[in-house]
Amino acid sequence: MTQFAGWLAATQASVWIASHEWVIPTIQSIHIVAIGVALVSAFMIGFRALGWTGSDQTPAETMERFWPWLAGSLVVLLATGALMVAGEPARELLAFSFWLKMCLVVIATALTWWVGRSQTRALTFVTLLVWVGIIFLGRLIAYDHIWGSWSMSPKA
Amino acid sequence: MEGALASIEGLRLAEYIRQSLYFFPFLESLHVVGLTMVFGSIAVLDLRLLGIASIRRPVARVAIDVEKWAWWAFALTAVTGALMFITNASVYYHNTFFRLKMAMLVLAGVNVAFFEFTARRSLQQWNADARAPLAGRAAATVSLVLWIAIIFMGRWIGFTTTRVTGTKPDPGVNIEDLLPK
Repeated sequence: MTQFAGWLAATQASVWIASHEWVIPTIQSIHIVAIGVALVSAFMIGFRALGWTGSDQTPAETMERFWPWLAGSLVVLLATGALMVAGEPARELLAFSFWLKMCLVVIATALTWWVGRSQTRALTFVTLLVWVGIIFLGRLIAYDHIWGSWSMSPKA
Repeated sequence: MEGALASIEGLRLAEYIRQSLYFFPFLESLHVVGLTMVFGSIAVLDLRLLGIASIRRPVARVAIDVEKWAWWAFALTAVTGALMFITNASVYYHNTFFRLKMAMLVLAGVNVAFFEFTARRSLQQWNADARAPLAGRAAATVSLVLWIAIIFMGRWIGFTTTRVTGTKPDPGVNIEDLLPK
């Protein structure tokens, strides 16, 4: 992985991103805007299952309203996330938080789909917690030393 | 002003956050959870007012669903933001992006007041319409632009200020120390 990160860092795209100061904060800002759309879409699907919002709508109508926005924002998140990896390969690819986050994104997306279909209350709480955990892990990529030897980062 | 900022930085709570390895990242993470909920929930209502999403539901229903979450999330964001501010008050106070962000937050508040005193007054007349009257659509557009700009400003504060950390040496505590051997 360290070799791959080194190869990626030497590519033209990576060098360009890294050499322009405004690029990383811009990508991160777009990433955060998309997190807002994704998180609230998942929460609206979950809150409907809990009966906290949207009780005038059927579960199917709630899925119809919010699932496309969740899927669309996830595409934006993957694209901006990929650009961040390209710009700072070592920071992301060697971070334990990054890989745990990637696993949880897959799990949270599947859980949200399941919650939207099944309206299972207990599963809803787990799903919403996983989404919040993903946000924490995203921020913790900058502090990967907390994971000790689980982190591949040489700084840890 | 400098004296006031210095005394804010001198608060015991500010010192405690600076000295802790985990408190600041924890605050940052909660701040992101809060602000993304604020933006996302306000966007649901703005898009309804613009006639882009949820158009088959009455505006008042959509508003009930998102407004209370937006306020709670805003409270969380404000508290965590204030706690981050006190750790390094004089630096944030003089940061251009911080000032722009605060100005935009005030404008966002003025925009809410504008909406309350104009379009919302006659809500019953257009509650079920696919889109709000002009004043409502204008407020929704201004709201979306301001909140996205506020997110950008927030990220730029992080890139133009240096976080102040404690003077104590890093104790080197990590997850493995918390697990049974």
